[in-house]
Amino acid sequence: MDPFLLVIWVVRLLFLGLLYLFLARVVGSLLRDLRAAAREPGASPGRLVVVESPAGEPEAGRSFDLDAITTLGRDVNNAIVVDDPFASSEHAVLTFRGRSWYVEDLGSTNGTFVNGRAVASVSPLGFGDEVSIGQVRLRLERARSS
Amino acid sequence: MTGASGRAPAFVLPRILGPIRPRPRWIESRLLALAAVALLVGSLSLRLGTTGEFGLADARGLGIYLAALVLAHVAQVLAGRRSDQVLLPVVGLLGGISLLLMERLPQDLVTLGEGEGALGLGDVQLIWLVLAIGVATTLAIVVRSDAWLRRYKYTWAAVGIALLLLTFIFGADVAGQRLTLRLGPISGQPSELLKVILVVFLAGYLSENRPLLIEQDTRIGPLRLPPLPYLAPMLAMWAIALGIVVVQRDLGAALLFYAVFLALAYAATGRLSLVIIGLILFFAGSALMANLFEHVGQRVEIWLDPFADPLGSGYQIVQSLHAFARGGLIGTGLGKGLPMVGGRLPIPEVHTDFPLAALGEELGLVGVIAILGLYFVVIQRGLRIGAAAADDFRAILATGLALVVGVQAFIIAAGNLKVLPLTGVTLPFVSYGGSSLLANAVVVGLLLALSDRGVEPPPPPSEATGWRRRLRRGTP
Repeated sequence: MDPFLLVIWVVRLLFLGLLYLFLARVVGSLLRDLRAAAREPGASPGRLVVVESPAGEPEAGRSFDLDAITTLGRDVNNAIVVDDPFASSEHAVLTFRGRSWYVEDLGSTNGTFVNGRAVASVSPLGFGDEVSIGQVRLRLERARSS
Repeated sequence: MTGASGRAPAFVLPRILGPIRPRPRWIESRLLALAAVALLVGSLSLRLGTTGEFGLADARGLGIYLAALVLAHVAQVLAGRRSDQVLLPVVGLLGGISLLLMERLPQDLVTLGEGEGALGLGDVQLIWLVLAIGVATTLAIVVRSDAWLRRYKYTWAAVGIALLLLTFIFGADVAGQRLTLRLGPISGQPSELLKVILVVFLAGYLSENRPLLIEQDTRIGPLRLPPLPYLAPMLAMWAIALGIVVVQRDLGAALLFYAVFLALAYAATGRLSLVIIGLILFFAGSALMANLFEHVGQRVEIWLDPFADPLGSGYQIVQSLHAFARGGLIGTGLGKGLPMVGGRLPIPEVHTDFPLAALGEELGLVGVIAILGLYFVVIQRGLRIGAAAADDFRAILATGLALVVGVQAFIIAAGNLKVLPLTGVTLPFVSYGGSSLLANAVVVGLLLALSDRGVEPPPPPSEATGWRRRLRRGTP
């Protein structure tokens, strides 16, 4: 066989081979990324980030990993203690049902607000929404996975 | 870096961009190196296949392109953001394949300038690719907050509709389709930019109304639907898609917009009823269009039987199928595809609508599967970025951006292979064309920016006012 033709063949196959080598490397790094995400302990259904807290408890900027049922209020038995003069001792509860979050006001004196709207009974809560309890504003976010 | 008060005002630029700390991106650099080697071997294969010799001058275009990619990499390292490291090499490889293809096609398909200094297809594509890399990198580095997208979603929608109307009214007719908008010397296809605007608007709308769309029901017989006022945008979307088909005769864009809209509505709400109703509307609309309008009916007929008129209306598809068949398993080799047949291209519009057919001929089934694999990686990255996003807006935005690229690639690949009726959309990152490359660069840039999880927290959602507020209060 003509050596020149042979070279052309080899280069052609080498190009295809390199395409697949590239794909294999990419897929490898994607798999590592997915495995690392799966190994992350405690896949929490979400977290609350404190946006504003004039009284300093909880501190602004702090973030709480949420359980499926998380109570908020001034009483120390709440999962998240909101020590604000305008918060009730048992103020509100966040629940994760099915695939989405809900917020319920537990008969607080000053009410619970989502994005500035008062919560009547149980109200759905999207990631990125803001909950206000007294003067404390908290934002619901997806848990960090990577 | 926390004591901002003591900082001299000399660092104006770093303060705009945030604190700059270089951060190595090893995965990206390794993948880029591999992509560069693959492309250089491809270039060698192309030269050996066409002229039989290989000089350094032949690799000039590719060299400039690879240098641009390296610059993009270095810029991202210096910016030090924790953005995705796989996206740039994958898209870079697709762009490089595009460059090889455009250098191989007849250069007089597209010319810029005249006489000695005229630029051919390959050179023009190189300019667009380098610009696209610049746009993607700039967005990836500079975009820190998504407030400008999130807050002004209705403004974006208005811009999109204005673009659409401008094209309806002032657009130039090219080959029976009114897609091109000319502004002096610059011409472009707004529908490419429109798809990005559509995704931004949908992300804003769906993330804001997601709880309501999930929670409340309107029952019509056995179907449980979201509240009826929230279905209005869906009907509007359907009407816009039909309008694009009727006025612009752009089936591809209409299909793309509608498919992405349905996919995003499903991703945001998880309601199958939306998809079912959307599909019913789609098939009803398609049947109506195919019977009412000749240009739509003709497409369907060509799709069902291109061999009925192999030299006339079915010519493109028949030639495309022949090209895939000639390619076989591993292809004829780069540069070894059929040259001009009888003074004309074997496939008309090969550089915009049929690059996959040309690649299928020269790289074969094995090569086409590798290229489709690259698109799947782009989609996977987008969905992953969406899944890891902190809030609904970013999640839906990333999902939508990935889908808009993936669905477009699927529509045109399926069109080339006679799986779907042929609709003239571009193959993202590969087809010739400035609008297409730049719009897809915006998509990549935004995805890269979104993949970096928040230096700056997203702003609180604005409170609804006016009629939207009344809607939210219940009882529409």
